[in-house]
Amino acid sequence: MDNELNQTPPPKPPADYGAASITVLEGLEAVRKRPGMYIGDTNVYGLHHLVYEVVDNSVDEALAGVCTDIEVVIHVDNSVSVTDNGRGIPVGPHPTVIGMDTVDVVMTKLHAGGKFENSAYKVSGGLHGVGVSCVNALSEWLHLEIQRGGKVYQQKYARGVPQQKVAEIGTSEKRGTKVQFKPDTTIFEVSDYNFDTLSQRLRELAFLNAGLHITITDERTAKNHDFKFEGGIVSFIEFLNKSKQPLNDKVIFFKAEKDGVTLEMAMQWNDGYDERVFTFANNINTHEGGSHLSGFKAALTRTINSYAEKNQLWKDLKGEVPTGEDAREGLAAVISVKLPNPQFEGQTKTKLGNSEIKGLVEQMMNEQLSIWLDENPANAKKVVGKIADASRARIAARKARETVRRKGILDGASLPGKLADCQSRDPAESELYIVEGDSAGGSAKQGRDRRNQAILPLRGKILNVEKARFEKMLTSQEIVTLITALGTGIGKEEYKPDDVRYHRIVIMTDADVDGAHIRTLLLTFFYRQMPELIHKGYLYIAQPPLYKATRNKKDRYLKDDEAKNEYLLTIAGERGHVDGAGGVSNKGEALKELLKQVIKYQDRIEKLAGRKDSRVVDAVVQATTLTAESLLDKAALDASGEPLQEYIEKRYPELDEQLQNGQMKIERMDDKLHSSKKLVFTTLVNGGPRQTVIDTAFLSSPEYKELTMLKGELEKFGPAPYTVKIGDDTHTATNYQQVLKLALDDAQKGIAMQRYKGLGEMNPEQLWETTMDPSNRTLLQVKVEDGPATDTMFTLLMGEEVEPRREFIEKNALSVTNLDI
Amino acid sequence: MAAAKCPTCKRDVLPRPQNPSFPFCSARCRAVDLGKWLGEEFRVADRTVDEDEDGLRGVPGDGTTEEPN
Repeated sequence: MDNELNQTPPPKPPADYGAASITVLEGLEAVRKRPGMYIGDTNVYGLHHLVYEVVDNSVDEALAGVCTDIEVVIHVDNSVSVTDNGRGIPVGPHPTVIGMDTVDVVMTKLHAGGKFENSAYKVSGGLHGVGVSCVNALSEWLHLEIQRGGKVYQQKYARGVPQQKVAEIGTSEKRGTKVQFKPDTTIFEVSDYNFDTLSQRLRELAFLNAGLHITITDERTAKNHDFKFEGGIVSFIEFLNKSKQPLNDKVIFFKAEKDGVTLEMAMQWNDGYDERVFTFANNINTHEGGSHLSGFKAALTRTINSYAEKNQLWKDLKGEVPTGEDAREGLAAVISVKLPNPQFEGQTKTKLGNSEIKGLVEQMMNEQLSIWLDENPANAKKVVGKIADASRARIAARKARETVRRKGILDGASLPGKLADCQSRDPAESELYIVEGDSAGGSAKQGRDRRNQAILPLRGKILNVEKARFEKMLTSQEIVTLITALGTGIGKEEYKPDDVRYHRIVIMTDADVDGAHIRTLLLTFFYRQMPELIHKGYLYIAQPPLYKATRNKKDRYLKDDEAKNEYLLTIAGERGHVDGAGGVSNKGEALKELLKQVIKYQDRIEKLAGRKDSRVVDAVVQATTLTAESLLDKAALDASGEPLQEYIEKRYPELDEQLQNGQMKIERMDDKLHSSKKLVFTTLVNGGPRQTVIDTAFLSSPEYKELTMLKGELEKFGPAPYTVKIGDDTHTATNYQQVLKLALDDAQKGIAMQRYKGLGEMNPEQLWETTMDPSNRTLLQVKVEDGPATDTMFTLLMGEEVEPRREFIEKNALSVTNLDI
Repeated sequence: MAAAKCPTCKRDVLPRPQNPSFPFCSARCRAVDLGKWLGEEFRVADRTVDEDEDGLRGVPGDGTTEEPN
């Protein structure tokens, strides 16, 4: 927008702003008696309002096209001066108030001012014309300096009373008015001016009056702001959307003039959710809205709706029509109206009452916005899409509210029929078991301690999405049941985490993939909709056993594979011994520990299998004593060749075969990265070639160090071959892995090992004993770290991409402990 | 640390202490999420027809690990 003020100076001063245009209405005593009536209050608001009154007079000069600069200074004594280059207050005897100078009339008589006759000012801001005389009345002192007609005049007041006759004190080429005043501390409860408060209003004025130069200086702190916006309210919108991502790339701007009314409107949507629509009438921020705002809202909704319908952009909304609220989500808009005779209504007199303005705004919006939409189809599409999103969000929220209300969560009167509640009403001791499946739910109901343990069975629902693909979900009925059982309510207004009826909420699912799915859904639901319960530590995961071992008619429950191995190795140690060549023998606890080291060794080697051929790594660890240093030592490298080949020949005949027919290669290469050598083994893994690089990096890695450490431990077995004698059988083994396998197999003889596939396979007593009995059970407390990792996890689990999600669950969801939870 | 993303609109969210709607960016996005739960839109991929329950148990190794024999 161009600087309208500079471009269109009034052809001639509209009327003579002389002594004759001032009419006198009232005195000032009333103002000092009831200041609140005139300036709002005598606190921070009123104090700052004084400055706005004075500045508004200067802005009026700008509106009349005769002022370009306004300078505001906060002085060290908290007095404020406002200087403009307007016409200057008229000086000379007042035509009707006999014996008074016009300056004194303006400064001391209430409702005295040029604004009441439309000829001098076409439009005017200033609060209701009480204006500067109010400020004068409420100031300990006020000094006036006027430059007008080549002369400089001065006048001084104290609490509104002139202290002298208007004095001519010099000559000047310039014109303008300087008002400096100090608020009366006997009237105001506060005296400190806030720079930011003033600066914000002045910035607003600079936006609203394109090209007007306003500065503010704080002499107490030397802070200074300088405002001049040639773009006017377009700059205002850019300022509002500064840190946002705008949707329509250029700010939309309309301007119209009709019947002496100027209308300006600027708007831009951003990708946020806040609605920021600012309306002004004659530069006054109409916080309460009014006719201009209603016109704007009505036209915005109607125009956009008809555009979207015409272009069939809202087909997928299924007949729901976006509301005005949807249309204004993420909208920054400024509407500025300048009109003669504004009527302000409302509690704070900041609501525009002139009803004719509504039609004007509406008409302009209808016309201009339709044109904009038609001319900017790409931007229009983005805007319309954004509004459709807002609409969908609103509808989703509304539906959720309705579902929750309909299913009676909120009346709290009845608990769901599926819930087997406990007797206790004390949340601190009560537990809720959320159990997967009806049969397990039945066992849990029978096995529980009904005094403080409640059972809620959930099944989830399997959905056949395509021929060969299934998806699992919680039904809306189940979610509502869960919320009702918990007693917290749900949604923005109704959710009260403190009302939760149980301080232990235990998710008890099968240790299989189905169980993991239900668990994942429940965890995600709690994390998103009831995070407080997780943060208070109320959410747990039950740990049902994976195995039952029966030996000598005694049952033993084993949580997982690790517990199973531990159990079997203990038995192996009890029932036999493993002898190495040369008279070394291990049994009991020592044997058990050694065999555990074999498992550990095996586990570490397997972890490397993704990157290396684990057979090669095993051979390097077992047959050589290579270190990072020995890679530089040719003799040591040479010496390692033979034992390596021997080991491979004995331990991995299939690798030896590859070596013989040339499929396996061992090469010594330069390692420029480490200024050293490296060994590169090429082998066939699953029919494809794989390179296993043994270099400085690997040989100094913690993994390799641990492997060599374990190798040292395992030497306690003594040299091969080994005699494994567990129970009645005797076997011979040539390596540690064989020893382990034989020991486990032999230990298992005479033990009935039952693998639980689901909770339903346990009877009520077993379920109680293993999983629900507080003296025996293990509960995993759910903890969530806030952060991108957690978020990524849930995004993966719940996202649209089915495949990565699936893989993720398979790898991780079975052991929730590893998931930051 | 990178900011967490809102599960509904995927934009950055303020950390929990400053954000009563965490892990969402706003009450609006939480409400949308609740609408999806109640609309049964959240699902996890279940097993396909041609694999049984146990088929998914282990992560298949690449065969490089030799079993003792």
